[in-house]
Amino acid sequence: MARMRSKKRKVFVKSTVKTPSVDHVTGDKIPKSIVFSRGKLPGPLKQLQKDLRKLMLPHTALNLKEKKRNSLKDFLNIAGPMGVTHFLMLSKTDAAPYLKVARTPQGPTLTYKIREYSLAVDVARSQLHPRCPPDLFKNSPLIVLSGFGTGEQHLKLTTIMFQNIFPAIDINTVKLSLCQRIVLLNYNKETKLIDFRHYSIRLQPVGVSRRIKKLVQSHNVPDLRSLQDVSDFVTKAGYGSESEADDEAATVTLSSDIGRVNRASNKSAVRLQEIGPRMTLELMKIEEGMCSGGIIFSEYGNGDGAKKEANHEEEEMDEED
Amino acid sequence: MASEIQVSEPPSKRKFKSGKMKNNKKRPGNFPGTGEKKVKIDMRMKKLFRKRARDYNSDDEEGEEEEEEQQQQQHGIDAESNEPKEELDEFSEDEGEEEGDAEENGDSDDEGDAVQPGITKFSEGCRAFKMAFTKIMSKNVDPKDVLGPVLSGHKKLIAEKLAEEDSERKVKGEVKKEKHQVGEKGHVKPANFLDSHEKILIGVATKGVVKLFNAVNKAQNAQKGLNPSRFKDAKALGKRRKEAFYSELRKKRSQAADGPMKGTTSTGREGDDGPAWAPLRDSYMLTNSKLKDWDKMPEKTVGGDDLGERMVEDSSSDED
Repeated sequence: MARMRSKKRKVFVKSTVKTPSVDHVTGDKIPKSIVFSRGKLPGPLKQLQKDLRKLMLPHTALNLKEKKRNSLKDFLNIAGPMGVTHFLMLSKTDAAPYLKVARTPQGPTLTYKIREYSLAVDVARSQLHPRCPPDLFKNSPLIVLSGFGTGEQHLKLTTIMFQNIFPAIDINTVKLSLCQRIVLLNYNKETKLIDFRHYSIRLQPVGVSRRIKKLVQSHNVPDLRSLQDVSDFVTKAGYGSESEADDEAATVTLSSDIGRVNRASNKSAVRLQEIGPRMTLELMKIEEGMCSGGIIFSEYGNGDGAKKEANHEEEEMDEED
Repeated sequence: MASEIQVSEPPSKRKFKSGKMKNNKKRPGNFPGTGEKKVKIDMRMKKLFRKRARDYNSDDEEGEEEEEEQQQQQHGIDAESNEPKEELDEFSEDEGEEEGDAEENGDSDDEGDAVQPGITKFSEGCRAFKMAFTKIMSKNVDPKDVLGPVLSGHKKLIAEKLAEEDSERKVKGEVKKEKHQVGEKGHVKPANFLDSHEKILIGVATKGVVKLFNAVNKAQNAQKGLNPSRFKDAKALGKRRKEAFYSELRKKRSQAADGPMKGTTSTGREGDDGPAWAPLRDSYMLTNSKLKDWDKMPEKTVGGDDLGERMVEDSSSDED
């Protein structure tokens, strides 16, 4: 027993060492999140929860074990000492699965209905060559919010919420080689749906033939059987299978070398490949508190005014009593 | 006990053994105690065998059994010769042999042993069962019959039971399917090709990444060649950063106004006039509640955390 205990303690210490609460360069507080479920989830949603945890890496609890009797209060209690700033809660009703994003400990809480979703496995299965380099999940993703600039209050809140879920990037000190993933939230004005996508970023040198790219990337000896001369290997253009047309928009000049292929002097093309999960979200309501409190926004009915006032009145009544 | 072992053995041997029995039976005068004991056990065994025989011949009527007991106690021969005919009249081939056996048994019974009749019945019962089984197996089964050859008389009942099971299974499967469908609600498998919507989304994301990378490139190119440890350069750096940052901000705002794009934004506190590395700032750690173990922090950064380490190295190289 004693041995077991000492082992456990060791593991615990290790985990605290690994997660500094303050960024050493910028001094900003690093946002941390936990993803958990409220109520019992069916199989595919459990997988979605796992995928979301992976997406939120590295500042999240990847192997969080929940119990049936864990209430929201329990999670709130650990959130303080562990420095958790955001909760992502998955739940399921007969109508649809729901995703709640909340800031701890005070709120607000955004409730999204998940209209459609695909797991990372599904996405990988749909691709010919799914890509997953080993250190893909070692750094937090970038986030791109698009289409939220309509000026509406609840959209602004969504923007702020999702921007703060991931640590802020400092332009002057960030290393581009650490930016490997991107999370995209695209708001569609007509349908009022938010597309949630997760891509991996890959940089490729522009103007270099495919063969040479491959030769540099992998140390394998190329197949020269069909060639007359070694120079043919360099001069003969391979079939341009990759879409070279839209390259101009997606090219960057790098400030420093990334890997062995992308040199600072050359131009590089940005290529994105989806890694999932994929979600189509619909904002249902925004609550002031942590899954409680006045309703700031509601999809159905004008919840902004009437309900909020009613709630306030109730609260006042309670206080008077 | 020897007499019981004989039970399952063929009749030819039995005769020999019965001869042995005679010897045993003659002895009781010498050993009265053992003889009595034997008789007792035999009675018990007899009942047991009888019971088994009854189980085999399920057509038997109960009333018959009682008669048998009475008869056997009185005249073993008569009972044995009659009984097999009643019980096994289906299997006419057996009869001859059985009669022969009965006679043999009768011989042994004469010497005062009432066990044998039950035993013979048991062994013959085995044969009867065999016959019945072969008969059933040789039957031609109607291909339309769902049940096939069934031994039980309650064919209807069994058919009903099977139908019930089938329907139950069906209901269970449907319930499971429904549950699965509810669980899968909203789950969509993506198509193998990129449709236009996905392409647009990838384009938007690419734009965002390109914008960020270009901004980073600009910011980091500007501070190349300047040494932040020298006072003059540091001042110039700060100024440049501030300008670059604000210009970048303005640019983003204007772009956000005409297009739906809103790129990644950084809080960029770097633009303030504090030193680049956080620990050099006046406000460092003041916002952090864990001031108590300030002496433990450096240890932690030196240990495992490669990200933090890399960042620290980075900034120090900037200073040099």
